[in-house]
Amino acid sequence: MDIIGMDALKVLPFYCVIIPLIASFCMPVLARWKKEFCAPLTTAVTAAVFIITIIIGNHVIKGRAISYAVAGWRAPWGIEILVDPLSAVMIMLISGISLCIMVFSFTAIKYELERIVTGWFYTAFLLCFSGMIGLVISNDIFNMYVLIEIAGISACALVAAKGTRLSTEAALKYLLLATVGSGFILFGIGFIYMITGHLNITFIAMELALIKDQYPILIWTTLSFFVVGFGVKAALFPLHLWLPDAHSSAPSPSSAILSSLVVKVYIIAFVKILFIAFGLEIFHETYIRQLIIVLAVLAMLAGSFFAFVQIELKRRLAYSTVAQVGYVFLGIGLGTPWGLAAGMLHIVVHAFMKTCLFLCAGAIAYQTGRKKVNEFAGMGYLMPVTMGAFTVAAFSMVGIPLFGGFISKYGLALGSLEAEMPLLILVIVLSGLLNATYYFPIIGQAYFSQDESAGDNHGGDKKKFKRDDIPLSMLVPIVIVALGVIYLGIFPGTILKFINLTVSVLL
Amino acid sequence: MDLELILLNFPYVVAIILFSMGTLIVLTQANLVKKVIGINIMETSIFLFFIAVGNMHGGVPPIYDPAYPEALYVNPLPSVMMLTGIVVSFSVTAFALALIVKLYIYYGTISAPNFMKLK
Repeated sequence: MDIIGMDALKVLPFYCVIIPLIASFCMPVLARWKKEFCAPLTTAVTAAVFIITIIIGNHVIKGRAISYAVAGWRAPWGIEILVDPLSAVMIMLISGISLCIMVFSFTAIKYELERIVTGWFYTAFLLCFSGMIGLVISNDIFNMYVLIEIAGISACALVAAKGTRLSTEAALKYLLLATVGSGFILFGIGFIYMITGHLNITFIAMELALIKDQYPILIWTTLSFFVVGFGVKAALFPLHLWLPDAHSSAPSPSSAILSSLVVKVYIIAFVKILFIAFGLEIFHETYIRQLIIVLAVLAMLAGSFFAFVQIELKRRLAYSTVAQVGYVFLGIGLGTPWGLAAGMLHIVVHAFMKTCLFLCAGAIAYQTGRKKVNEFAGMGYLMPVTMGAFTVAAFSMVGIPLFGGFISKYGLALGSLEAEMPLLILVIVLSGLLNATYYFPIIGQAYFSQDESAGDNHGGDKKKFKRDDIPLSMLVPIVIVALGVIYLGIFPGTILKFINLTVSVLL
Repeated sequence: MDLELILLNFPYVVAIILFSMGTLIVLTQANLVKKVIGINIMETSIFLFFIAVGNMHGGVPPIYDPAYPEALYVNPLPSVMMLTGIVVSFSVTAFALALIVKLYIYYGTISAPNFMKLK
């Protein structure tokens, strides 16, 4: 970068974590004084972090990772922050999507939450935000654990913020299962520390390459602990039980954050540990790869089936997340350049799509109070912009060309050809069709079906487009993420360049 | 031989037994407070495991003493990490208990099967 020198640039990733952390502790105090300032300040902090991440991304795209030793302690002893291109694209994604969601929350929070919890909601959000960014850029596994807990506990708080029966119940369920998951992760970290004596991922990789033949059973145990731990955290299929309740009962900005970002950062951490710390040889020698593929296939099919039978829109979207996490894990399990790149691309695409869908669900509930999928008749005319964004995201979810979801699914299909598992293409297509079966009825109803309840009041004009009756702060983020989905579908090149820079190093 | 190995490494064995017990309690007990106790047992077992990893037979506390330059020091890093772990465990417990109090106000019971159903 020309604007900033190298020394200053190295510190920037650290600021991405520390600024939201400090702001989060200011928030309860601010909420006591002036509640109206919480949302703008949080948005300003998120925007500042977004700008910083773009500067970082601009630098990292040239192929030079940023490494920073926190507090001046060098790598094997101190905590190292390492921003490789994959982390760079993830922190840009996290801060960008969060920015959209925060703008959306300006009005949504007033409508969905009690006034007294506003300050605490933003506290939890900022903690979760800094935890997620830290988790993605940290290169030290114990530091990762701490940030996993920060992100995890504050994510539970985001669910519990609504304070209803259902959300409290869901938050407790999430908290208990997530703690079991992080317990497994911590035990795995203990095993790694025991056999290598290091916590820094780069050094673990060097040490494990030397001693992996001495401890075959221990390495297998460690890997399975990590799969279970990160599987619970990222809602991999048989371990997803907390997800549908938590995501459907949370307020809609929280659902969007949880579904599009929180479950994904754990996958990034898992990819780092699996491919960098353990390395490709262990990945291919143990049966971890087959295990991940089987779980991913189950997730893709079962998640879609469960989504199909749900009546409530947000529950349907939540189960859809289970299926999409399956796609990402399929990419990891394939372990080929295209497969892994497509898996990582799917994280980006899915973040845009799911944010769009959850924000639309929130906007629809705000204007009309409708929350069930069979109440969507005439919605396309009542709220044309929101429903248009919903349609874009749903098409992308199904995998129709020109939308983001197509690129990642196509990449996964190429990846399964590369891995010589052509049957997986069938699973991908089948899961895509299942996606269609639960998204298209909503869209069809919205555009082609008569709305009986509105018909009485409005007479002949029920097929006429009206203007969305939602505030601009809700409409703009929805439109931006919908445009993002289309942009990713037509020009996926920039993101893929970032991802491929990392994938070519990993594989 | 195997018995000797187990006896020499009994902290690890105890840690693994406690970990399994804790996980089982979290997943099977109906009472929510018992679930929280299970989580605490689980995390405590991990603390034990880490401290056992850092320990050495005949090690002394890692405080440099010029009188014994060749003393064998215990690795302090795992113990320090577990301080963080204890903080995390404490906050999870506090948060979970707060949620349980709230659920008790709503439902009048802290027995999970009465309201936690798979939907």
